[in-house]
Amino acid sequence: MTRPGLLALLAVVACTGACTDAPKPGITLWHSYSGAERTALETTAAHWNTDHPDAPLMLVAMPHDGFADKVTSAIPGGNGPDLFIYAHDRVGAWAEAGVLEPIEFYVDDARADRFSSDAIDRLAYHGSLWGLPLTQKALVLYYRTDLVATAPATTDDLVKLAPKMKERDGFAFAYSNVDLYGHAPWLHAFGGTVMDDTGTLAIASPEAANAMAFARDLVATGVVPANADNPLEASLFNAGRVAAVMSGPWFATDIRKDVPWAVATLPIVSPTGRPAAPYFSTEGVLMSARARDKDAAFAVMDTLTSDAAAVTRAQIARQVVPNVHAWDDAKVAADPFLRVFRTQIAHSVPMPKTPVMRMVWTPYADALGEVISGRAEPGAKLNNLQDAIQKLK
Amino acid sequence: MSTADLLRRQLRDFAAAAVIAVLFASCAFVAGRNSDLAEHQLGLASRSVDQLIAGGEALPTVTGALVAPATPSVAHPYLRHRQLRTPSGWRDLQPSEKWMYDAVTRFDREGAFTELVPDGTGRAIAVRAAEETTAIAITSPTTPAPYPFLVMIGVLGLGLALTAAGSLVGGRAANLGALAGIAALAVPTALWHAWIATTAIALVAAGVTLAQHARLTDRLSDGLVRHRTALGFLMPAMIAMFVLVAAPFLIGIVLGFYDHSHNTWTFVGLANFGEILSGGGKQLDDPLNFWFILGVTVLWTLANVILHVTIGVALALVLSRTWLRGKGIFRMLLILPWAIPNYITALMWHGMFQGEYGAMNSILHHAGLSGVSWFSSWATAFSANVITNTWLGFPFMMVVALGALESIPKELYEAASVDGASAWQRFRHITLPHLRPALGPAVALGSIWTFNMFNVIYLVSGGAPGGSTNILVTDAFHWAFERGERYGMAAAEATIIFLILLLWTVFGNRVVKSKDADA
Amino acid sequence: MAMNRKPRLAFLIAAHVLLIVVVAVVLYPVMLVCKKAFEPGRDFALSASPIPTDVTLDHFHDLFDKRGGHGELLFLRHAFNSIIVALATTVFGVAISCTAAYALSRFRFPGRKAGLTTFLVVQMFPATLLLLPLYVILNKIGLLNSITGLVLVYSTTAIPFCVWTLKGYFDSLPRELEEAARIDGASTWMIFRRIMLPLARPGLAVTALFSFMTAWNEFIMADTFMTDESKYTLPVLINSSVGAFSADYGLFAAGAVITSVPVMIAFYVLQKYLVGGLTAGAVKG
Repeated sequence: MTRPGLLALLAVVACTGACTDAPKPGITLWHSYSGAERTALETTAAHWNTDHPDAPLMLVAMPHDGFADKVTSAIPGGNGPDLFIYAHDRVGAWAEAGVLEPIEFYVDDARADRFSSDAIDRLAYHGSLWGLPLTQKALVLYYRTDLVATAPATTDDLVKLAPKMKERDGFAFAYSNVDLYGHAPWLHAFGGTVMDDTGTLAIASPEAANAMAFARDLVATGVVPANADNPLEASLFNAGRVAAVMSGPWFATDIRKDVPWAVATLPIVSPTGRPAAPYFSTEGVLMSARARDKDAAFAVMDTLTSDAAAVTRAQIARQVVPNVHAWDDAKVAADPFLRVFRTQIAHSVPMPKTPVMRMVWTPYADALGEVISGRAEPGAKLNNLQDAIQKLK
Repeated sequence: MSTADLLRRQLRDFAAAAVIAVLFASCAFVAGRNSDLAEHQLGLASRSVDQLIAGGEALPTVTGALVAPATPSVAHPYLRHRQLRTPSGWRDLQPSEKWMYDAVTRFDREGAFTELVPDGTGRAIAVRAAEETTAIAITSPTTPAPYPFLVMIGVLGLGLALTAAGSLVGGRAANLGALAGIAALAVPTALWHAWIATTAIALVAAGVTLAQHARLTDRLSDGLVRHRTALGFLMPAMIAMFVLVAAPFLIGIVLGFYDHSHNTWTFVGLANFGEILSGGGKQLDDPLNFWFILGVTVLWTLANVILHVTIGVALALVLSRTWLRGKGIFRMLLILPWAIPNYITALMWHGMFQGEYGAMNSILHHAGLSGVSWFSSWATAFSANVITNTWLGFPFMMVVALGALESIPKELYEAASVDGASAWQRFRHITLPHLRPALGPAVALGSIWTFNMFNVIYLVSGGAPGGSTNILVTDAFHWAFERGERYGMAAAEATIIFLILLLWTVFGNRVVKSKDADA
Repeated sequence: MAMNRKPRLAFLIAAHVLLIVVVAVVLYPVMLVCKKAFEPGRDFALSASPIPTDVTLDHFHDLFDKRGGHGELLFLRHAFNSIIVALATTVFGVAISCTAAYALSRFRFPGRKAGLTTFLVVQMFPATLLLLPLYVILNKIGLLNSITGLVLVYSTTAIPFCVWTLKGYFDSLPRELEEAARIDGASTWMIFRRIMLPLARPGLAVTALFSFMTAWNEFIMADTFMTDESKYTLPVLINSSVGAFSADYGLFAAGAVITSVPVMIAFYVLQKYLVGGLTAGAVKG
């Protein structure tokens, strides 16, 4: 290459490098929404931006995998966003690590009463408020109406589907069984917990062992596939190889258009006679402790969680919004999908938000994997797990 | 030596020493300035709070106030109303006084504190209990003292003058002059009480004088002049290597001696290394124990290199036969795995091993076997990694072996045939010795690549189940980015990995060389 | 069984069959990905057959139509970022290394051997070992989440690599021309600029392409250092399309096909230099 050519190339490279790196003014918000949730968020952001050209809101979409870790390492270094969207279960750890900014200074009772209190209370920790709620998520039962005429009311109803589904080289239903979040409905129905009311670890109990044995037997008897995860559940459901899937609101976007389906609240767990109770999480918009313009950032939070924005999100993305008055909207109130989720959330257990919980998810999933594959006994495994996590603390 | 030559030499040595001395002095200045400033600001805030508690005003340039106890909301106990005491009575907080509100909330939770605000403005905040209220003070943002250019230029001039004067007198005085001249640069650091820098500069002065005595400076300067062309050519790459490789490398080693939590670094000496090498108090069969991971890494490297070499050499032996039809096409297709970006390969295999219905399990079903849930037990997850990496890595060995085989003179085989050597004998005495010199380095290189094959482990098994299939590099990554930013642990582990690799390279080189000697 | 003598027919057939089986095993995953790129659906291989049952271009369409927060076309944006990063790394790496490689090849000076060893060792050791200090430094100087920062990071691998391979190429060039020029009174710089660089053009091209490919294929640094969706490179995009929560293998396959094909072409063109360069370095070291 000739020298002028080389220099020109260098100049182009340097210039594009500089252009793409220039810092932008305004409020930056990180989120991991995609599809309709993203569209709904962008709609509200567009409204904000026409009203506030001086402090534009910039949405940065990021993959959900590793999102929380990126937030944790970027914010203290000053490279993070001003705002971000995440579920309430990390709030405790982030508040203690100085990642989040407390916002109760801006919030009075009138503003807080906009939300159902089980939603906004989830975002409080250590006597401060750390975010405003956007939506609540929990597991429900999706079923194919061409394979099951009416919603299965009990787990026995689901088990009864197994022989017929086996003929189709499939399973009665599927859920993420090697995962505490997926397993939680059984755990709670059997009366087990991870943490008791005082926040102390209560992993090992006969109830929790029974729940694990129940999950193991579902696999052993060929009722559910082992090691299912969201992509597999979607494939099986779309291919008609499972009649039902226990999953969250995100699952609706994975269902192919030609598949007839409906949702129902989780069934009663037959051995206990009690309904399966999933964890519910509250997703909120949270403020970074390093936000540059905190007043403007809070104004954005306020707009994003306003009743009008909530109706937009409920209509476009079918989010179960915590704004009490959003449900006055006729279209939102009439949506059967939203109604099922709302009922389910009312019968769910809030996901714990203490930092200890972060040490529980992975080991618990590993324990489930060992028990379900028959390499460990539920009781002994849960005792080990409790000891191991106690030691980590 | 003429006076002019002497003067030139002394000034040259002074200039070199001065560059080092100024560097030390500047570091000392910046460090001293920051800690002085912090101390000053913290003192201001603290004294203001004292005054407020005693019923007075905050010091000038400091904002202070007394805040009333909170009245929590009935419905939401975490929403609290606070008021501020002013000379004319109580008033509500202004929008600009959020920092006061938050500081007092923190005080209610944790008790009194005095610290720097971690936003780079250099402000200090102090909060303490006062009678029925909370006293709070924050200093104004400050800019640090400017760099003392005049002082530095002054002492440089002084040093220069001393050196020159000594040279003009000549003899012993020349050396004394340079010694005094360089030592003069230690005067400002002594005034800043930066004793480490002062000692270092004094040592530089003594060192230069001794080196002059032994004619080392002359020899060094002659060498530099003689090789100035080479030096000029090397300079860009040397600077880049220093800035981009050596500096991060050294910083990485240093970071290993610190603990990182909540964005603050604390010096902990060898604690990180101790925690890693002792296995962190975990059982030897715990997947987070360093020795377990090292064992997995070694097993991983061995399994892969053996498979790569065996498959690669076997295929090369077949491909090098002259009777083979379609040699070019076979060769091209067999190299394919090497040509695909390895993160894509890893993701592709991850998909194939995934779940009940991945391609691998479909094949097993077709073969009448039951599916395996690959990532739920160590053996299967490890095998999945090895299968992926074997697929990815054998073409390299195959190509190297092919190259070596093609360079073997045909006459050797013909002569051996005439002598009645069996196929095995020909392989043992002709093929193998010719393969060795090419395969030796390829194995050394391949083992280092495999030892550090981050992408395959991270993307195929991701360490599942329970981190037990992690190798050292992925484990270090988890320390840094997935276990609460334990950067110190990650840095220490990277240093250990580096030492292992270095040992292996030295040792491996020796093995290769001794084999060469045999052949 | 001398190399040239034809063995028995049965053996011959067995050898060919064996090779065909091995090739089939090698090609199978690649064919699965190609199949997925053209077959509708988001899941990966519910059937083991590598032949698509239904052909569609939807995945490619979706890939190109993926939009960012400002409505920009993400795939093109990421492809552009990848090209810029790889190109800048290459230009920077080769420009800085070529003089040093020449000096190491032609001049004799104290410390040369130590220098060569350093370049060799650094070239062999992976940049992942430097990941953490680089992260901390970039964070400190504000170059995290910036294209410039990524180029600097990739240069840590590119420079030692370029020095080492270029040095090998200079070694292979004859010295006569330089000596003649020196007798004619040309300066070292003139000789380097006017004679050696033009002579080394093939070597420069190959080295440049390799550093380009290294940067183009790098995944973990880009994934860790970049946070802004508009600054991702292609590997990050492709990896994020198959996350744990929502995996779209159709999108992945389409992206994988598009990003791999140029690399594969470059690889086939250059493979003989690649092997030579890598092993020559190791043998001489």
